[in-house]
Amino acid sequence: MPKMTLREAISFGLTEALDNDSDVFLMGEDVGKFEGSYAVTKGFLDKYGKDRVRDTPISESAIVGSGIGAALIGLKPIIEIMTINFALLAIDQIVNHAAKLSYMSDGQLQVPIVIRTVTGGGAQLGATHSQNFENWFASVPGLTVVTPSDPYDALGLLRTSINSPNPVIFTEHATLYRTQGDVPKKPYSIPFGKAKIKKSGTDITLIAYSKSVHTALEAADLLALKGISTEVIDLRTLNPLDTETIVNSIKKTNRAIVIEETWKTGGFNGELIARIQENVFDSLDGPVGRINSDDVPSPYSGNLESSILPSANKIVDLAHDLYGI
Amino acid sequence: MAEDINMPQMGYDMTEGTVVRWMKSEGESVSTGEIIAEIETDKAIVEFEAPTTGTLLKITAKEGTTVPVGNPIGLIGDSGEKIPSSTMNEDSNDNTSPNITKPSPPNVTKTPPPLSKSTSTKKQSIKISPIARQIAEENSIDITQLIGTGPGNRINKKDVLDAIDDTSETTINETSLPNTKTEDLPAEINASPEPQQLDKMRQQIARVTTKSKQEIPHFYVSTEINMSNTLELRKQLNEALSSDNTRVSINDILIKASVMALKAFPKLNASFINETIQQHSQINIGIAIGNTNGLIMPAILDCQNKSLEEIAIATKDLIARSKNGSLRSEEYSGGTFSISNLGTFDVDNFIAIIQPPQSAVLAVGKIIKKPVIKDDQIKIAPILTATISADHRIADGVDGAQLLTEIKRLLESPLLMLLNE
Repeated sequence: MPKMTLREAISFGLTEALDNDSDVFLMGEDVGKFEGSYAVTKGFLDKYGKDRVRDTPISESAIVGSGIGAALIGLKPIIEIMTINFALLAIDQIVNHAAKLSYMSDGQLQVPIVIRTVTGGGAQLGATHSQNFENWFASVPGLTVVTPSDPYDALGLLRTSINSPNPVIFTEHATLYRTQGDVPKKPYSIPFGKAKIKKSGTDITLIAYSKSVHTALEAADLLALKGISTEVIDLRTLNPLDTETIVNSIKKTNRAIVIEETWKTGGFNGELIARIQENVFDSLDGPVGRINSDDVPSPYSGNLESSILPSANKIVDLAHDLYGI
Repeated sequence: MAEDINMPQMGYDMTEGTVVRWMKSEGESVSTGEIIAEIETDKAIVEFEAPTTGTLLKITAKEGTTVPVGNPIGLIGDSGEKIPSSTMNEDSNDNTSPNITKPSPPNVTKTPPPLSKSTSTKKQSIKISPIARQIAEENSIDITQLIGTGPGNRINKKDVLDAIDDTSETTINETSLPNTKTEDLPAEINASPEPQQLDKMRQQIARVTTKSKQEIPHFYVSTEINMSNTLELRKQLNEALSSDNTRVSINDILIKASVMALKAFPKLNASFINETIQQHSQINIGIAIGNTNGLIMPAILDCQNKSLEEIAIATKDLIARSKNGSLRSEEYSGGTFSISNLGTFDVDNFIAIIQPPQSAVLAVGKIIKKPVIKDDQIKIAPILTATISADHRIADGVDGAQLLTEIKRLLESPLLMLLNE
């Protein structure tokens, strides 16, 4: 099975879509001549031309708005918002238009748009460029929110996103582009709302998505040194959410910690914990823990930034505090 | 909200600790990382840092009190914050509290045994996890009789499962085992002087060595090592080294040789945990440090990257800190392989007990001049007898032999240790 980086997997998925479907086109800041600020669209402009790989002015609202328009008339736009921090400028288009038009028209209109965007901190990009807002979008009915952690999932979920008749927020973590993984040559796709058990275990369940899956796996290794068998669940999509996999795992382990990189207050972890206690309260052997970034604007300094982010050690310590393990 | 400060787990197998001294008094403000108390563990006195910032609202474990790991010793919250009632209740058990200085009312013993169905008020006051409650109900375990070992004294699943185990064990004991109560012992044994209570360190050594010998199938490999070249190397090094701090001891060279041998044969740098073998990437060498009270085995961390000089410095630092009680908890619990050296005594040879969760220990005696046969001639050479005790669940005799002969090879030709650096 060939190995790919997450960057190559997404790039491959985009190429495949552009090759196979003439309705697909890319649009965003610096996707063309600059070849993508994270080099995902390297060589695309030369290969597909400026009609299908469109550089835009710096106006996120206009980028998403025109993408929605194109989708309404039957094209399949794949929009790139350079980082999720800039999606704030387009949030009205995303929440009030992309997510609503199908409902408000009783299904007469469809918005098959994919909005690719870069999320997450840890790259010393300062307070305004290191944020995570996937949880905000996940709270909006009508938006699918995709949060892959590895190249295999990124490609499989990108294929499903492009074929979805509804708007998709496709998040790519800024520090995962070089993550390597096996990607089969044979075409495959991954359905929305199906979590993946990355590691099975019996003593505690760690639930995470995107970058935090790697943090959870690291914690599982540390917990193994203490003789603790850890199950790690990668949610893969936040909306729709695979509650069933979480529930089944906690029925087995009786213990859970949820991990994500957004701020603690109002984070998606709160939603996960609510669902856990709604469904498996009687299986719990203690309170469900959560690891988030601290509730502060991200510091620029590398030491300070890494201290506010989730870490494997924080997970191990919390497991001890909550469950005495 | 006020937060309990709990007795920390500061080492492998630590189950309780004693608050030796509070550095802060009630009402004083504390910040995260600030040293607020000294805790005596099984092995040493360790400084305890505040886990959070706030005001020390309440000290629940007075100086001298022994508290199980995970149980509260105090409470940190906002200044002026109301102390939760559960903490206040604990206060009423305090010896200084006036309402307990009265002798216990005699009718306590007459209280009828608890009904099988606990009253609702009783049920509410018991801290128990949902799954623990469910399992207890399914197995008719009386939760009012359980002691919670979870954080905040919560009864957890393990407590209930242990109680179920105990119930079945008790039944066996009562029916099939001879009665061995103290009263039935022969009079002359009973008449011996007061039995001596074990201090904490003795208790810990008793527990760990018993557990090790009961659980780990030890096997042993021994060899004699000609130390002439190592002694010569050490002499040359120490003549060349100016600083006392970097002077190299035989023990430092033993550590270096063990680390290099473990790199070549890493099988015994591992732990047997839950029917699995956990290989360690770090090589942390525990060294046995004895004193009048007993023995500790703190580890020099990350030896895989350390030069001989760095090992010498780290060893001196570790021994110094073990004397003033300022070892870090990972140094107590982090060892992956140990060396026990009785070379300062007139001991030719001995075998050591493995310190779990490690899987091997090297025991060395005194370097003694002995006749050796070299090129069919009898010569005198300084000989060290070394014995590795190893965990047979992880490795076999061949692995032990490979590791020991590699250590021997390095010590007999110590210049080899200069390679691969």
